[in-house]
Amino acid sequence: MSGSHVSGSLLLRIAALSVALVFVQIGVVSELPLFGVSVDLSPLLVAFVGLLCGSTLGALAGFSVGLLVDLALVQTLGVTSLIFTLIGYWSGRLRELRDPQAALTPLLVGAIASAVSLVGYSVIEFLLGVDAPVSFVLLRQILLGIVVNTIVAMPVWALVRRALEGGLPEDPRRRRRRRAYTTGGLSPLSRT
Amino acid sequence: MYDKTVRRRRAVLVLLVVLSLLLLTAYFGEAPGGRLHAVQRGFLTVVSPIQDGANKALKPVRDLFGWFGDTLHAKGQRNELRKQVEKLRGEQVADQAEKRSYHELLSLFHLDNQLSVANYHPVTATVVGITPNIWYSTVTIDKGGADGVRLNDPVINGEGLVGKVTQVASDGAQVSLITDSTVGVSARIGTGNATGIVQPKVGDPNTLLLQYLPVNTQASPGENVVTSGTVAASDNSLYPPGIPIGQVTSVNEESAYKSVNVRPFANLHNLDVVQVLTSVAGSLPANLSKLALGLPAGQSSGASGERLASTGAAG
Repeated sequence: MSGSHVSGSLLLRIAALSVALVFVQIGVVSELPLFGVSVDLSPLLVAFVGLLCGSTLGALAGFSVGLLVDLALVQTLGVTSLIFTLIGYWSGRLRELRDPQAALTPLLVGAIASAVSLVGYSVIEFLLGVDAPVSFVLLRQILLGIVVNTIVAMPVWALVRRALEGGLPEDPRRRRRRRAYTTGGLSPLSRT
Repeated sequence: MYDKTVRRRRAVLVLLVVLSLLLLTAYFGEAPGGRLHAVQRGFLTVVSPIQDGANKALKPVRDLFGWFGDTLHAKGQRNELRKQVEKLRGEQVADQAEKRSYHELLSLFHLDNQLSVANYHPVTATVVGITPNIWYSTVTIDKGGADGVRLNDPVINGEGLVGKVTQVASDGAQVSLITDSTVGVSARIGTGNATGIVQPKVGDPNTLLLQYLPVNTQASPGENVVTSGTVAASDNSLYPPGIPIGQVTSVNEESAYKSVNVRPFANLHNLDVVQVLTSVAGSLPANLSKLALGLPAGQSSGASGERLASTGAAG
């Protein structure tokens, strides 16, 4: 999806969804640990926005959501923005280059986004000089974080797709694919 | 057109990454009172009420999920606590048994000091079985011939006389209690010289009868009955003198002999640890026993009682 086709409606939907999910994350989800760790909806949101809207919007959404998270949680500004920008861009490029249609694609994308987020955040914090040892507990927390995020990836994907569906422009490639299905003799309706 | 799109996409990425790095560097490098920190504080001030409102609005949702989580957690805790209760219950039973054993051993220790039963080579044994049959007052102990336990060895516990060994195996022995009809013990009242034979009272297995006392014997309720330390004629068994047997509860006046009812000191229904007095050859009791057996009949102390005891109740 090129930038020229981005509608104001889509931007508004992304912004509203981002703000809502960040506040839900801070107000509710962070207080409900699963297997001892909290689900982090933010990287999932960014990855799925990229997967639905493309790399440019994905990167922009990543930067914005990251900035919002850093501001709201009083963290070092720029850290989450940097990581989320890369996540949004990567997932957008995945869509633009591969356009994966498998049902489990969001699960895989969510897992990778969570892993990049957790590992990337840890690496940057270490680079910034946070005095914490690399321990088995830390690695376990990261792994558990990836697992729980992967568990909730599908519902979050459904929510994001539902929220952005009305604002997404028609994708020419998908339109072509749909047309081939309905007019190429594969549809049961075409036989009648 | 394609190149333009690609260039724009890459430019956006680079711009955002650079912006993030600038933000990071500036924020990390500035003092807590710097501009970016101030912006962050300002943002926090603005969104705090929103966060607060969202927090309150979403509280039911959080509580709902929290309820599920708490329920699962509570179930896990419940199962864990059940296991702990079972474990602690087992430990409590073991502790109680050990406590009881400790008190019994302590009593035995005091009795040892009091009576000097150490000279009789006491073997401490644990009661491993009690005859469930009400007709036989016997218990099984975990020490036998391999530990030096012999037939007719006296058995005591911290409270007093318990009985004597009536069956010996290699690693165990059977002890007939003083309430068993086959057991008779030479005994005297308090510090008096008159001796008699203690046997179970017919029809009342929990009461002993000290009988064959001379008619002029002074006896009154409350006095203690102890072993007289005489030797049985039929075997080498020897009850050391002075072992408490029981307390006089009533006195029976009879024609030829006097007898008294005795309530045993030892709680024979709840035995755990006992001591078998194994007077091995060469020890003082063994020598006394040998000496007593070597005397002509009628010269050893309490001979009449011993004979009577040996007829139906060795001891």
